[in-house]
Amino acid sequence: MRLLFSGLRKLVRRPATWVTLGLLVGLLVLIIVAVGATANSRVNPTREATAKLLVTFPGAYARILEFITGLGGLFAVIYGAAIAGSEWSWGTLKWAVARGESRVRYMLISYVSVAVMIAAGLLITFAAGVVAAVVGAHLAGVSTSGLGDSATLGDLPLRLLKGWFAVVEEGALGFTIATLARSQLAGIGAGIAFYFGEGFASLFLPDIVKYLPFSVANAALSTGASNAQMFAGGASPLPADQALLLVAVWLVGALVVAALFSDRAEIAG
Amino acid sequence: MSGTDGLALATRGLRKNYGSRHALDGLNLSVPAGVVYGFLGPNGAGKTTTMRVLTGLIHADGGSVEVLGKPFRRGDRHRLFDVGALVESPTFYPYLSGRANLRELAASGGPVQPRRIEELLDLVGLCDRANDKVQDYSMGMKQRLGIAAALLNDPRLLLLDEPANGLDPAGIVAMRDTLKTLATQGKTVFVSSHLLAEIQVMADVVGIISAGKLVREGPLKELLSFQGVVKARVRPSAVEAAIRILAPLATAERLTETDRDEGWLAVRIAPARAEDVSQKLAGAGIYVSGLESGNDLEMLFLELTGGQAITGEGAFVGLGSTTNGSAAGKGSAA
Repeated sequence: MRLLFSGLRKLVRRPATWVTLGLLVGLLVLIIVAVGATANSRVNPTREATAKLLVTFPGAYARILEFITGLGGLFAVIYGAAIAGSEWSWGTLKWAVARGESRVRYMLISYVSVAVMIAAGLLITFAAGVVAAVVGAHLAGVSTSGLGDSATLGDLPLRLLKGWFAVVEEGALGFTIATLARSQLAGIGAGIAFYFGEGFASLFLPDIVKYLPFSVANAALSTGASNAQMFAGGASPLPADQALLLVAVWLVGALVVAALFSDRAEIAG
Repeated sequence: MSGTDGLALATRGLRKNYGSRHALDGLNLSVPAGVVYGFLGPNGAGKTTTMRVLTGLIHADGGSVEVLGKPFRRGDRHRLFDVGALVESPTFYPYLSGRANLRELAASGGPVQPRRIEELLDLVGLCDRANDKVQDYSMGMKQRLGIAAALLNDPRLLLLDEPANGLDPAGIVAMRDTLKTLATQGKTVFVSSHLLAEIQVMADVVGIISAGKLVREGPLKELLSFQGVVKARVRPSAVEAAIRILAPLATAERLTETDRDEGWLAVRIAPARAEDVSQKLAGAGIYVSGLESGNDLEMLFLELTGGQAITGEGAFVGLGSTTNGSAAGKGSAA
């Protein structure tokens, strides 16, 4: 437990944590408020209706969550890569190993710390998104009566849990890539390339790409909206339950690779 | 492992290859308990590779290691709970303070008493800056923090790689005193360094490594008893004549590395025979204006390592045939 608490303390004090969270919250709030503020000024009635959907409850809950797992997934990749890569770049893993710490335990618990921070970040971002959507609804003149929809609110914890699980899987990919690269920058760069590469590849190989990590993460939460379609390309996204299973497979696989590599790696420099 | 009783650290036939290069080629170290052990070698001799193997950062291709009387193999990481190590330049979380870095480091490996962190910050003289972020530390401060980190678990065996790097003179003296004190408390201090003068005043036992092999090991006094040097200063214009005059007595070399070496000769002869050097030169009409004698680790080192140059902070260029700019050994006790 002391290693986990240490990992959390390190992440809480780390500027990258707050920069990542600030960017995600800032972008989410900006987009939602901007959409709400401009919804009524759109000439095309269809576009106006689409814009208002984003700030109309209870549907807004799902859209905010999809935004978080979509863009938040990319941020999670970067964040996971930054955490793992810095252990190698800064040589702090070397200290722990020289003190007799298990490499596998150290790396896995480091990622558990990241997963906890992702949970906190997801809740904060979601809450900020809801507040922004309420503001956006007022600006757009949309009723917020659906805010307390009991069916949606009852379903919300499970959806948040699935969202967290999907983002954690995406973060694990960045974490593993940076571990293999032994570098923050290389890990972040490769993670971003992988994220967009998968989206791009879905245009040409949709039936394969829909099984890949970012696609399944989005499909796991999909209500048939934009993110899952983007990653699925022309193919139908996987059913949510099947996607969730694949999310677990990718998550475990990524962490096993990171742990095995860390265990066998020669630590120098 | 046979013949390792009473040793805090022992390696037998340790091998490590990087491709076709043999970084360690059958290294046999025997580090007695309760001493300061100076581990010397030129650049690329295998010092850092040895430190990495001893701390489990890399794995040897062959041979064995025994730490504190027990085998240290892959998977025996718990042995390191009694070992403190500073390998290469110390690295920390730059955004955390010195105190926070020690606290987070203490969360890994063996347990550490919370008050230990404050004791160590005091020991290394970082109390006043303990709450500053490490990214604002100087190299010397990071080195002090690294030494504190190595001492976190009150280790029985301390492995230090170039611990004097970046330290100011006062810091070096304090570090040396601390390490000697630890040895008197029964702890074993294994110091890898290229600062021969530093090792000469600090170490009880020395091991010299070259090309991945141990070329000499033993108590420093014993090793130096066979390695004497007398340094004599004559008129600069008389240096060549003095070398010729001394030739029947011993090999003499001109020191030319710095201006301050002008007129100085290094004569490889037992320190007790300094008088013979003076007498011989005086007999030829050359009078010495300075005479120093002592046992010189530098001479021994260069002889054993084939005169390979050591480079780096506080280092000097290899003696070779005519040059020696080091202060090492100068003024050492006769």
